[in-house]
Order: sequence, then C-alpha cells, then structure tokens
Amino acid sequence: MPPMTATLTSQRYRVDDFDQAIEFCYERGWTDGLPVVPPTEASVRAVLDAVGLEPDAQIAFITNRQVAVTAEKVAINAVMAGCLPAYMPIVVAAIEGIADPRWGYHGPGTSTAGAAVLMIVNGPIAARLGFNSGDNLFGPGWRANATVGRAVRLVMRNVIGTLPGRLDRGTLGHPGKYSYVIAENEAESPWTPLHVERGCRAEESAVTVMAAMAPHQFYNQLSNTAAGVLTTLCDTMRNPGMAGQPNYCVVLAGEHMRTIAADGWSKADIRKFIFENSTSSMAHLKRTARAPGSVKPEDETTMRPLVMTPDDILVVAAGGRAGSFSCYIPGWASRASSQAVTTVIKDRRV
Amino acid sequence: MAGFEILDPTVEPRRQPLTYVPRPDSLKGKRIGLVENTKFNSNTLLQKIGDILKTEYGAAETRMWRKHNSSVPAHDEIIDEAKRGVDAVVAGIGD
Repeated sequence: MPPMTATLTSQRYRVDDFDQAIEFCYERGWTDGLPVVPPTEASVRAVLDAVGLEPDAQIAFITNRQVAVTAEKVAINAVMAGCLPAYMPIVVAAIEGIADPRWGYHGPGTSTAGAAVLMIVNGPIAARLGFNSGDNLFGPGWRANATVGRAVRLVMRNVIGTLPGRLDRGTLGHPGKYSYVIAENEAESPWTPLHVERGCRAEESAVTVMAAMAPHQFYNQLSNTAAGVLTTLCDTMRNPGMAGQPNYCVVLAGEHMRTIAADGWSKADIRKFIFENSTSSMAHLKRTARAPGSVKPEDETTMRPLVMTPDDILVVAAGGRAGSFSCYIPGWASRASSQAVTTVIKDRRV
Repeated sequence: MAGFEILDPTVEPRRQPLTYVPRPDSLKGKRIGLVENTKFNSNTLLQKIGDILKTEYGAAETRMWRKHNSSVPAHDEIIDEAKRGVDAVVAGIGD
C-alpha cells in the first residue's frame, strides 16, 4: 500500500528545539505528567502508514462526548506516548474496544471509582512486537507494554477530554492509568488463549479491554493441587470492592499455572471453581456495609456470587516463571455497566 | 535556528446548541416523573423530593423510573413514557 498522501489537518505549532517542544506540550496540558515525544508530521505519517489508515479515518465515536476519534489524532498521541509505528494497530484496536457500547465509555472514563483500561494482548503480534508476558508483568521495562497503554490514555485525555480532576473524577485512581498492558504467555500456557475463548481464531491477534481496578496479588507456596492454589485465591478475592458483580481478570503466573495444569484443569474448570468458591453471604455483605439494609435471618444462607456468571472471569496465563504469586483484578462497577471487549487487531495494509 | 513544527493532539469539542424547554410556572396539578439512577438511596431521595413536590408545591402525582445503570442515559422507554405521561422530570444521583 502506498504511503498516505492526504493532508494532516491538525493545528501546527513551531518550536525552536526539542527541549522547547517538550515544555510546550506540558504548557498546553497534553501530557500525563511524563515528558512526551514531540509529534512531527514525519513521525505521525510513519505511524499512519504502519496501520494503513488515512488521517481522517474515524476509529471511534464517543457518543456521550460527541467526539469522533480519527486516525490522525490517535497517531499523534501514539507518537507522543513513545510508540513504534508497528504498535499503532494495537492502539487502534484498543480504542475501538473502549468505544464499544458494551464497554460503556462514560462510566469507567469518569467514575469516582477510578478505573483504568486493562489491555490484554493475544496472538502472534504479542511476541513479534515484544510485549511482555513474563517477569515483572505489570512493571516497567518493556516499550510495547508501556507505550501502548500510555497512548490509549493520552487519546482519552487529549481527544476524548477525559481530564483528571475534570471529566475523570477518580477519587484515588491507580498507577494502571499510566499504562496497564499485558500479554498472555501463550508460548508456555497449557490453556486456550483468552482471545480464542472469546471468539477469535488462534492465528489472529486481539486486544481485550477491561475497565479495571488495581491488581491484587496472592501468595500460596504450600499447595501442589489446583484446588489448593485456587482456594487461596478465592479467599483473597471473596471480599468485593464494590459488590456490583463486574468482570474479573485472574492472572495465573508460572508456578501456579503449572500446578493447576498438572491437575488437568482447563480455564473453564478454573472459572467454575472460582465462581462457586468466592461467594459471600448477604449477611456478611450487609455487616461490612457492602450491601444496604439490615441483616435478616435468611441472609446468613443467601450466597451472592462475586460475578454474574463464570464466564465473567477472564483467566490469563502470564507473569514470571518463578514465585508462588498470582493475582486477580476486579473490574469496574458491574458487568451491567461495563463489559470486557475483545477486538481483533486488524492489518489494514493488505 | 529554523526549529520544527509539532502537531496538536487535541480535538476541539463540537459545539452544539442546547435548548431547554420552558420551566413550568407552577407545579400545581402537574404530573412529575422521577428518574432514579440505581445508586444506593437514590430512590429514597427522589421519593422524598416527590413527596415534597406534592405536599408543598401541589403536584398532582409522581411516578418513578429506574435506569439500567447509573452510567448510561435514561433508556428509550423512560423517555417515551415521560413524554406521554408527565409534565416535568426530576433526575437525581444517589452518591
């Protein structure tokens, strides 16, 4: 496909040098607090060429903001975030995901609960572009993980207007709002990859977006059975943050992954076990002010599941090979308000 | 030094005029719709407001609708029924 020729229509600002450009971006309120890469015509065009989109192509329309998100604006923000041009198809797919009505942008974009956009990358593109799925999974050090999530957040800020303290009213927020991108460790996972469970072909690449709170780690170095490991998980995750039955993501790292798989458990088995063993009594939820009302006798034996259905739990194999740690990530609010969405990463250049 | 140009990453929000319907001069005899957003106590708060509108302002009746959840606009059924059946609407949040 030939390079794009259409004109970039964004306003241009002349700066003397690189340092001034960085400070100018700060002055204009265009950054997440960290310095950004100044977006030039050449760098933005390289990103657009990599994704095969014309600058005026509409990636998404955010209904409640009445904002059309164009490829040009996404590309500018991707450059600013430090993305390589090759990352752009993933950024585009993630933006498509958060604009999906099922994700429900207005809620997680603005809520005091302070959700971030958890992005899980699956398929061949993850390894090809160097997305981390192993050690220090949620930590710094990998350009793809760090900059793709940052690009999405910059689009939310600069294009959609989700400004912290204004439209984004998160009371606490969490560090995942800078970037919250992981890949599934498909090479070592014994299980069906997340995107395949959610309807994609294995050879496709996809990104799953979930409105998500921070990761909660749990520790079990004593059990050598699937039920043993997951019993600890269930006891840790049983006490819900908002009790609204949102999506949950469970990330099983190397040691736990191998222990659970050695018992022959599939992801469906894992979801079923968690669903059945992470319930709370209505009495407990009321006593701890997670549910309204006074405790009635029947509340002692009325059990509320953490999620509406087992399929609301996304199980992902990722994290370091060593260490008896895994984690769960509560979704924002409720599945009725926001659902995880999986979007195929398209190659538009062919 | 010639310097270089950088591109603006932001979008100017599209401006659109918003027109409010005229507010009723009086609530006397009016039918009041209450749109509840599902948050804790939002139904209690709105019912209380509805009672005050009846007892202190002479509203004829109130009826309440519940949104699907707090993050979405009132759904079409609410809008349609409100258009047909009430003269004014109170929407509230229960945070």
